[in-house]
Amino acid sequence: MALAHFKHYPSFDEALIGFTRYCRENELGIGLSHSQEALQAATAGFAGDEGTLKYTLKALFCTCTEDHDTFDKCFQVFWGTRKHTYNHKIQNKNTSNVVKRSNNSLVMMGFKPQGAETPKEEEEAKNVSGASAVESLKFTDFSKVSAIDRQVLDELANKLLKQLNHRLKRKLESTKQGQIDIRKTIRNNMSNGDALIKLARRDRKMERYRIILLLDVSGSMDKYSFFLLKFIWSLKSNLKQIEAFVFSTKLVRITEFLRQDQLDETLFQMSQNADNWSSGTKIGKCFEDFNNLYAKRILNGKSITIVLSDGLDHGQPELLAQETQKIRLRTSKLVWLNPLKGTQGYEPTARGMQAALPSIDEFQSAHNLHSLLELENILANV
Amino acid sequence: MIPEVSKIISEFDNLGYVVEEELATVLLLTLKLQKPLLLEGPPGVGKTEAAHIIASHLQTNLIRLQCYEGLDVHQAIYEWNYQKQLLSIKINEQSSLSASEKEAHIFGEDYLMKRPLLQAITATDKAPVLLIDEVDRADEEFEAFLLELLSDFQISIPEMGTVKAPHRPVVILTSNRTRELSDALKRRCLYHWIDYPNFEKELKIVQKRFPVMNEDVALTLVKLVTHFREQNLQKSPGIAETLDWCDGLLALGMERFTPEFIEKTLGCILKSETDIQSVKAQNLEQVLEAVEA
Repeated sequence: MALAHFKHYPSFDEALIGFTRYCRENELGIGLSHSQEALQAATAGFAGDEGTLKYTLKALFCTCTEDHDTFDKCFQVFWGTRKHTYNHKIQNKNTSNVVKRSNNSLVMMGFKPQGAETPKEEEEAKNVSGASAVESLKFTDFSKVSAIDRQVLDELANKLLKQLNHRLKRKLESTKQGQIDIRKTIRNNMSNGDALIKLARRDRKMERYRIILLLDVSGSMDKYSFFLLKFIWSLKSNLKQIEAFVFSTKLVRITEFLRQDQLDETLFQMSQNADNWSSGTKIGKCFEDFNNLYAKRILNGKSITIVLSDGLDHGQPELLAQETQKIRLRTSKLVWLNPLKGTQGYEPTARGMQAALPSIDEFQSAHNLHSLLELENILANV
Repeated sequence: MIPEVSKIISEFDNLGYVVEEELATVLLLTLKLQKPLLLEGPPGVGKTEAAHIIASHLQTNLIRLQCYEGLDVHQAIYEWNYQKQLLSIKINEQSSLSASEKEAHIFGEDYLMKRPLLQAITATDKAPVLLIDEVDRADEEFEAFLLELLSDFQISIPEMGTVKAPHRPVVILTSNRTRELSDALKRRCLYHWIDYPNFEKELKIVQKRFPVMNEDVALTLVKLVTHFREQNLQKSPGIAETLDWCDGLLALGMERFTPEFIEKTLGCILKSETDIQSVKAQNLEQVLEAVEA
């Protein structure tokens, strides 16, 4: 641990190095080059005054405005006038109202607040990965996220999903300016003798796929449906042709609610209209409705259907098998994302899942952020 | 505050740009360390303006690259002038030049169309200011390319070899944070967050830009803008909008604010239908009274 006050160091330069170490310990992303530049700046006269030193180091050490708080605290402790010997870690204490906030959104979705989870479960969830907190959150099962982690996870999800969107859009839209098409260029320029003046360019033609999402919101999916809905909501902002439905005992189309700019607004409208949250599951029946009411209109050779469900069905498996097959025949790809598949030792033995399996092209898990991000590959390579 | 910083503040002040101590320190640091500077902040708080002012402060050219989605090497760095090359081949068909001479000729500087980044690298007389605007709009691939440029200030063109900058340009990147930039890019830059100005700074800016404006009117205007900013609007007004409003006010020759006038000119300052509706729904008379009190 670095000594946390400048008076412990014999010279200013050493104190500066000490400060970079201190900042590093407090989780600012600082490399060796930063200490070098700090020294360089100090030599250039930027250490003449406390304010200037602070602003200089701030510009060097911070990489986003969220870092500013941590930096300010570090600076205050390290360069403050009072000498002290203890080393303490700076902590951001802005998590006090997290439980309340996340509970609100959960209650709205028909969830019970999850403050009462046993600590053992949380521990198990966190042990999934040994890397940094962010990495491990990426691999944490949604159902095992505690209320406090939930906010962090929300932020991470926002960030990652934004990136995912960005890449997807790029992949789908491709280049506007293509390569030069030699053959066409020569043909177009025949009239000029053989001087090639007008250049013809060739674009890769991109097919646009429509994405249809069917989200299971029955009781057994409670722990996942909020995250999955969030995922759907963030997908819609860049994939123009998207259709979404939620189902449990009946099917509700939610495409128009997704058009809102704010997720909260979407949730509010859904809470007014989709009254099928957290009830039982009749997947077969809902798929039948889907096939009768919507499939002819919205499914075609250029559509991908994604079902997000755990496959725990109370209806007849025969009906489910038959209706899934019908969907399969109409769509170009049928993807089933099952949150339970992430659990160790899971076998698709549930009757519903068994019935649907033969018609499915891709069977994947959807229990944590990482697995949702994997979906990019499916969406991009169609 | 060290003397150099106060010097830079007063020089910028003369150029019409109000800058606080922190930003001045960072700008000075950018010039001293020759490191790129990444400016982030909400739209319309003067990020781009900062680059303009540095250019006029250094009395050098400003080369601007506006980023957008799908921006690629051909639009950012260079492209060969294919038509000219083809014509040249045609013209030189009968000449006695050898094939390799012809090739060297058509891949010469004359046939190279320099785009902003190459322009910035090849400026010969003086280091220019290179403004890479709204870098968050460009793709990640482009960002990766910028890394090479920003760390070595050189660009390799396969046909010509590596071009190295005789003078290191002063690089300013701006971002509205529509997405997070990569850590590698951030690591190569100094970072500064420009926020909405506080009341005093904004008033100072308004007075600096519009010296003819009545002091009371300016005061009310800035207070109103601050009031709008405190509300939860979809798009909070930036300094650019404040200045637009001042412009509108002067153009219409208004001596003082009235609720009707505010209602009619809201479009200067609020750029979204929902925001305008929500402000109109308030009692503007009361708002004005509260602000003027």
